[in-house]
Amino acid sequence: MEETIIAYRFDRLEETLSQLNKANCAIVAGGTDVMVMHKSRRGVPPKITKPIIFIDHLLELKQVNQNGNDLHIGACCTYSELLRDPLIPMPLKKAIKTIAAPAIRNRGTLGGNICNASPAGDTLPLLYVYNAKLLLRSVNGDRIVPICEFIQGVRRVQREPNEILTEIILPSVLEEGAHVVFEKVGNRNADAIAKVGFAGYIRTKGAVIEDVRFAFGAVGPTMIRSNEIEKKLLGKTIPVTDMDIAKVVAAFDKIIKPIDDQRSTAIYRKTVALNLLRYFLTNSTHIQHI
Amino acid sequence: MNLKNISTSVPKKDHKGKVSGQLAYISDVKVENMVYGVLYRSPIAYGKIKSIQLPDLPEGYEAVGAEHITGPNYVKIIKEDQPIFANEWVNYIGEPILMLVGKDLDILYRLLDEVKMELEEHQAIFTLDEAIKQKSSPGVTMASYEFGESLESISAIEQGACQIIEEEYNTGYQEHVYLEPQGMLGIYKEDEIVVQGSMQCLYYIKNALITALACGDDDVRVVQSPTGGGFGGKEEFPSMMACHVAVAAKAVKKSVMLVFDRSEDMVVTTKRHPAKLKYRTALDKEGNIMSMCVEVFLDGGANVGLSSVVLQRALLNSAGVYKIPHFHAKGYVLKTNTVPNGAFRGFGAPQSFAGIESHIGHLSKRANIDPLDYKRKYLVQQGDPTITKGNFRDPILMEDMIEDLLNASNYKKKKAEFQTFNQQNQRYKKGIGTSLFLHGCGFTGSGERDHIKAKVKLYKSKDNQVSLKISNSDMGQGIFTTLSKIVAKELDLPYEEVLYPYPDTKEVPDSGPTVASRTTMIVGKLLERAAKKLKAQWLTGVEQEVTEDYVHREMIPWDEKTFTGDAYPAYSWGVNFVEVEVDTLTGNVKLEKVYANYEVGKVIDDRVMKGQIDGGLAQGLAYGYLEKMTSKEGRIQQKSITDYGPPTSMDVVTIQSKVFDNPYADGPYGAKGAGELTLIGGAPAVQAAIEDALQTSFQQIPITPEVIIESLWMKEGEEG
Amino acid sequence: MIKFNLNGRKIETDAPPTARLLDVIREDFTLIGTKEGCGEGECGACSVFVNNLLQNSCLIPIGSIDGAEVVTIEGIMESDQFKILDESYSEAGGVQCGYCIPGMVMASAALLSQNPHPSEDEIREGISGNLCRCTGYNMIVEAINMAAKKGDGLWKKQ
Repeated sequence: MEETIIAYRFDRLEETLSQLNKANCAIVAGGTDVMVMHKSRRGVPPKITKPIIFIDHLLELKQVNQNGNDLHIGACCTYSELLRDPLIPMPLKKAIKTIAAPAIRNRGTLGGNICNASPAGDTLPLLYVYNAKLLLRSVNGDRIVPICEFIQGVRRVQREPNEILTEIILPSVLEEGAHVVFEKVGNRNADAIAKVGFAGYIRTKGAVIEDVRFAFGAVGPTMIRSNEIEKKLLGKTIPVTDMDIAKVVAAFDKIIKPIDDQRSTAIYRKTVALNLLRYFLTNSTHIQHI
Repeated sequence: MNLKNISTSVPKKDHKGKVSGQLAYISDVKVENMVYGVLYRSPIAYGKIKSIQLPDLPEGYEAVGAEHITGPNYVKIIKEDQPIFANEWVNYIGEPILMLVGKDLDILYRLLDEVKMELEEHQAIFTLDEAIKQKSSPGVTMASYEFGESLESISAIEQGACQIIEEEYNTGYQEHVYLEPQGMLGIYKEDEIVVQGSMQCLYYIKNALITALACGDDDVRVVQSPTGGGFGGKEEFPSMMACHVAVAAKAVKKSVMLVFDRSEDMVVTTKRHPAKLKYRTALDKEGNIMSMCVEVFLDGGANVGLSSVVLQRALLNSAGVYKIPHFHAKGYVLKTNTVPNGAFRGFGAPQSFAGIESHIGHLSKRANIDPLDYKRKYLVQQGDPTITKGNFRDPILMEDMIEDLLNASNYKKKKAEFQTFNQQNQRYKKGIGTSLFLHGCGFTGSGERDHIKAKVKLYKSKDNQVSLKISNSDMGQGIFTTLSKIVAKELDLPYEEVLYPYPDTKEVPDSGPTVASRTTMIVGKLLERAAKKLKAQWLTGVEQEVTEDYVHREMIPWDEKTFTGDAYPAYSWGVNFVEVEVDTLTGNVKLEKVYANYEVGKVIDDRVMKGQIDGGLAQGLAYGYLEKMTSKEGRIQQKSITDYGPPTSMDVVTIQSKVFDNPYADGPYGAKGAGELTLIGGAPAVQAAIEDALQTSFQQIPITPEVIIESLWMKEGEEG
Repeated sequence: MIKFNLNGRKIETDAPPTARLLDVIREDFTLIGTKEGCGEGECGACSVFVNNLLQNSCLIPIGSIDGAEVVTIEGIMESDQFKILDESYSEAGGVQCGYCIPGMVMASAALLSQNPHPSEDEIREGISGNLCRCTGYNMIVEAINMAAKKGDGLWKKQ
């Protein structure tokens, strides 16, 4: 009476893509999220209704390359592999270090963190401020999508059934001069799910702000980022005035709408998100100035 | 290994099997003709069952429910209010209604989803506050005690007071999170049912089984499996699971295994009682305490279980370690339609100590005196009466223990340093806090004499090997090691040659449950005496057996009705100092340093004691700021370990601890209880440290980042 | 049929590809040293090595490890490294209820083989996915520290 579960595990990406083109499959990379989401009770395998296709072993998806000042990260690089890779920028390593614990980091992948599109995805705030672009591949070819367009809602992404996320591209990330901060607020120091995530990015020329970006995690269905608010600070000089800081904070106050859940409260999430933003604006711009 | 000094550590008896993972816990066991059981549980908090419709059960699958219980349908604990299988009313979400048994878990889970039930839902009580409002309604107050000086005389004192301070304090749930989820196996045999599993109290289970199966003493047998942590969570709860598997095994004539999933375990098993404590204290013009009235409300959950006894301990500790000139206390266990609360390391005392330490700390701020100086003014001394007109008859070393920590922590200097640091640092604030506490060892009052009546047995084989025959469980706390040591030393035998097999009620007398920090002190003393007796009668090469019965120490007799007399034969003591750093942007608290001094009479094994200190204190500290469990409309919200948040290795720091010697005449080698004591001081010390860092007061634990951020926000509002 | 190497032995299993590695090693191969504490990768009691890396066997669908090398506590029990850990855990008093211990020992071995001389913070991080409710961790941290010293040379990276 047992239904047969179909699973594929090809040696090559090409075969994998060709199978995906034939049938709608559940893609499993590290599986650290999928296995929990579809978990059955004790002693019974998880229930995944679609045929499964395993991809975490595909060497094509495990490379990290530099291309000019851009960084290309294979979607199936595990967190531990990224921690050991000299090309990975420190703030991203810092974000990865806050993920769960070593055993999970040995299995979970960056691509998985993106495609699962959890509102609390640990690396997402940072990937948003890095303006990460995603390379999606299918038998029909490649396309590149900005991460903020790819992730559409809670566990909802804009991936065609025949596509695989193959690469995460961090444009100009290897350029000097940007100051990047990441903060994860969890209930404890390891094995925690973010209650608030914050990433801040600032690049100045002399005392003039050339680029500034902020992203907030776990305070809405997806990461909160606003080009409009960021623009208000462009061309201003550092240190940012208290009045400008207040304006930016007030603008985010309007668009950050978190919820109460078993991990925290809406009011806490919002207050802390804004605290971290204010702190970043006050301190990061000071540090640069000095 | 021959033992010179009893405190010198020896290798643990069960080390090898545990370190290699080859010791079989109940979920590692398979027996012939074994099926699994899964429980169908109430989806609503309060209501009447109208009808139950079972799906078509495939061959080999059966449903077991109330109709299969030969005896009365309740789990015997104290009162008869907890059904084995609810068949009329359901009182909480998750209450077991029936069990499906069969070979394949996959099929069982599917069948479970297909059970249909019609219910008539009634208005439930979800929170302690609701229950307090309705406490005069029938059935809401499940237990209540009142004692101390009369309210009239307190009222007269209050008339002459300079001010009266009223505070209300709340404590939350605490979940045990023993690493091994609950598990129980009912083994079917022609002539007996053997129940084997993870447990603290073999005879609680055996007595519950005799009642449920309406059978004779020889028809059931209870065997402890290696138990992966208890902390009270495996005190009374396993009795219910034992009834489930035994009733099922008898009904289907197969062996039935019931093992919980973690999320099931978190949602349906007992927890530490959430509590509300109210203080009303009269002060003179210098801020000295003239009188104090305490009211304690415990959220019992849906059944009374052990809650009345938990309330007793909460009340007995309601004045902390202080001599309050005029004291009155009253307490209630109230019913809510939530998962029943029960035993948890400390058993009511952690709530009371968190409350009283908080209150006294706040009074000291009003008097503008350092909290520790203020507390020391009221510290009880040897010969002082207890709040129940008993007596602290043994020497009390608290002053020495405090002085020692003042030096070790450099308290005064640190306070000044932190003040400077906090002025200079906008984001991070440091603070230091202290707690003073005690723990009454063993059962309350005359429990040992009247209810437990412990008996121990030592058996010597022909080849002169001595075995301990007692019903106490090693659940990780190390009694295999400590109790074996006591016997070995007394008999002058190498420690390795004394055996302590996992207890089986067929083999061991009832030496009482493994609870209340009683095992080393009470059972250990009986074993010491038994060993002495055996030594006196020792005949080489001959099989011998000796038994020993509990003898009550002469005290002021305990009267439960008036709540007077010596509540405990002895007390263990503790002092904790905790340093924290608070992130004012996120409210996150980081432990920086933890110092702990204890006095437990005499340490039986240094390493085992250190294990109790570090583990107990980690739980106690986390109770104060980290672990958060909530219930919403009768449903536990945190169903995973991560959402609940017990400490990881990265949340704990090295604990600098010391244990003071103060041998107690009626304990083996002078030993008193230790296991619960170590938890009690954690939460109040961490609260005091956070308050010191933020220069504010809190009226609850856990002080989560959410609580801190709200308080900072309010403070800003006041100042700005 | 999924084939992999379990404790040095080539094995085959007809378990469905979604079956958890944890269940396969416990049920099909009756290796009981790997424990289930949560089934969600939150406690580490089921820690094993897959291709020399510490992993939670409750999160591994068996279909994803075709050809891999899996080592459980039973697979290291005879090693010199295990003997050192065994001794150190005993001496430091790192074992109480024991349920977390096989996983903790696996995490300790994984840490030391990557970092033979870890600092206290590195030890704490190395076992941060292994929950222990009895010890408050400090005596386990001490055990690992002791094992690093006692086993000096044994843990050297190959």
